[in-house]
Amino acid sequence: MSASGRRGGPLLQVEQLRKYYPFTKGVLFAKTLGQVKAVDDVSFGIEAGETLGLVGESGCGKTTTSKLILNLEEPSGGQVLLHGKPIHGLAGDALREYRARVQAVFQDPWSSLNPRMTIGRTIAESLIVTGWGNRADIADRVGELLDQVGLRRDQAVQYPHEFSGGQRQRIALASALASQPQLIVLDEPVSALDVSIRAQMMNLLKDVQAQSNVAYLLVAHDLATVRHMADYTAVMYLGKIVEYGPTQALFDNVTHPYTKALFSAVLLPRPGKHEEEIVLAGEVPSPLNPPSGCRFHTRCPFAMAQCSREEPPLREIAPGHLAACHLHPPQ
Amino acid sequence: MTDAKGDVVLEVRELQTHFFLRRGVVKAVDGVSFTLRRGEVLGLVGESGCGKSLTALSIMRLLPKGGARTIHGQVLLNGDDILTRTPGEMREIRGRKISMILQDPQTSLNPVFTIGDQLREAIFRRSGARNRDVVREAIDALRRVDISAPEQRIGQFPHQMSGGMKQRVVGAISISGHPEVLIADEPTTALDVTIQLQYLKLLQRLQQETGMAILFITHDFGVVARMCDRVAVMYAGRIVECGPVAEVFANPSHPYTQALIASVPKMTGNTRRLYTIEGQPPSLMDLPAGCRFAPRCPHVEERCESAYPPSFTVGREHTADCWRMTAR
Repeated sequence: MSASGRRGGPLLQVEQLRKYYPFTKGVLFAKTLGQVKAVDDVSFGIEAGETLGLVGESGCGKTTTSKLILNLEEPSGGQVLLHGKPIHGLAGDALREYRARVQAVFQDPWSSLNPRMTIGRTIAESLIVTGWGNRADIADRVGELLDQVGLRRDQAVQYPHEFSGGQRQRIALASALASQPQLIVLDEPVSALDVSIRAQMMNLLKDVQAQSNVAYLLVAHDLATVRHMADYTAVMYLGKIVEYGPTQALFDNVTHPYTKALFSAVLLPRPGKHEEEIVLAGEVPSPLNPPSGCRFHTRCPFAMAQCSREEPPLREIAPGHLAACHLHPPQ
Repeated sequence: MTDAKGDVVLEVRELQTHFFLRRGVVKAVDGVSFTLRRGEVLGLVGESGCGKSLTALSIMRLLPKGGARTIHGQVLLNGDDILTRTPGEMREIRGRKISMILQDPQTSLNPVFTIGDQLREAIFRRSGARNRDVVREAIDALRRVDISAPEQRIGQFPHQMSGGMKQRVVGAISISGHPEVLIADEPTTALDVTIQLQYLKLLQRLQQETGMAILFITHDFGVVARMCDRVAVMYAGRIVECGPVAEVFANPSHPYTQALIASVPKMTGNTRRLYTIEGQPPSLMDLPAGCRFAPRCPHVEERCESAYPPSFTVGREHTADCWRMTAR
């Protein structure tokens, strides 16, 4: 059963998505030694105007998933549907149309803007590509977007180096919003920003969503950020979703041992006792040779004999709340 | 925690480190004072550009090339001002008396040498011991930082290890000289959350075993709450509030500290809107005449704009540089 099974997911639907990267040796007569299963059977859906948080540590496949959704990578299996239509294999105008509808804001505001273009030009770029209108229309729209993200209209003629990290992230958001997308992939949008600027950016993202009903796929490692921003949360480990549910329900009733460990690793800004801390032994195993059965069993404090043999399916443990763990049979 | 007097291992007094550029003077560290006691963890918190890393580099006397100079102040290590030492004497002090862990383990290790080479270099520099003893000590050092199979690991190169493991190797190198003071500059920022917790626990254990003092530089109040005994909050080149962690969290007195704590998303409570600090930190080239936080402060008064406030005592060992504290 898939995480999308609960809801229709009319905007974006991800079905049994897989991405394997071949691991080769040699150059000319390269021989494939194995496959890195970066994303392995991932399914979920996102509805208009809502936010899905995708959480996990580095190497869990969350960035590969977002690249597949952005149509920057071809899947090895499964599909991504926007309004029910598969997105991979699009070409020409259809692909351009898709790019206008699905946009992205990346983590590092220092490398995501062209230093040789004024920010007005950067924002205008996607308007020009999608044929927004004449010069005056485009200039108007750029001004509107700058207003929307809390910058001044006259700043359109400035270059990226004249802005701080927080302002650059606003510019990146403005240029993502230019083509009036229905979905924005936010890949760690606030983790490069300072604490006080982070709060500004998160509030802005929520305001923009309230105004324009855009959906967000929020890729993040910080649970507090996800809790604050996301309606639904999916936790990934080694290319698989291990737990999924409405954010509130999932945070109130953390079920999968990996999610529990992630939660106990959150350092609360509150001094005091540190009871019930689950410190995971070792590191994330290589996705090249993932453990048999449940991929988490090598680090799981509750592992049983069954865990190393059988892979637990993702199943419903409470309404809308799914987990892939043998300890939690379906209700 | 130990007694306030007599047990101070590091004292920084009125430290000023400025960048002298053609365009002007950047007052990156501008009058920083604090004390660090034996066996204590002091957190130095602030946002990027507030001068926390440069404070650490000034203490280590490892300022970046290109115009940075410490123009005023003292750094007393066991009562002895290390700012007046020669570069040769500083080399002896670094590693043995005072050591540092940097943020990014990727760049603190040399990619073309095995980690054994890099550990042995540190140990040999300090002790001048024979090769066999050095190797044994290097293996012990790796074991102390929980690296499994250190005999094999010692022959590996940094790229063969994960980020968390590399950072533990950096830790092993830093403490191999049994320093009295360890400066950790955002050591867990580049690590994943579950690995971060492992690393913090390791640092805590090492600190308890060796009794060294740690100056822990971070921007994360969660890390401060988990690791530190006392915390100093920096803003625009100065420490604006300093006190025991429990005290500062329970009773943040400087508006900047209050705002920082309020703007962090929480794991409990409502998620509607985060508190934000308007505006940006001031340019360090053109600082406001009075309180540096005044342009962004919700409680700003006239005197805030004309004169920098002195440090007012607001509780036991708890000070804040804010005029509003006058009344207390």
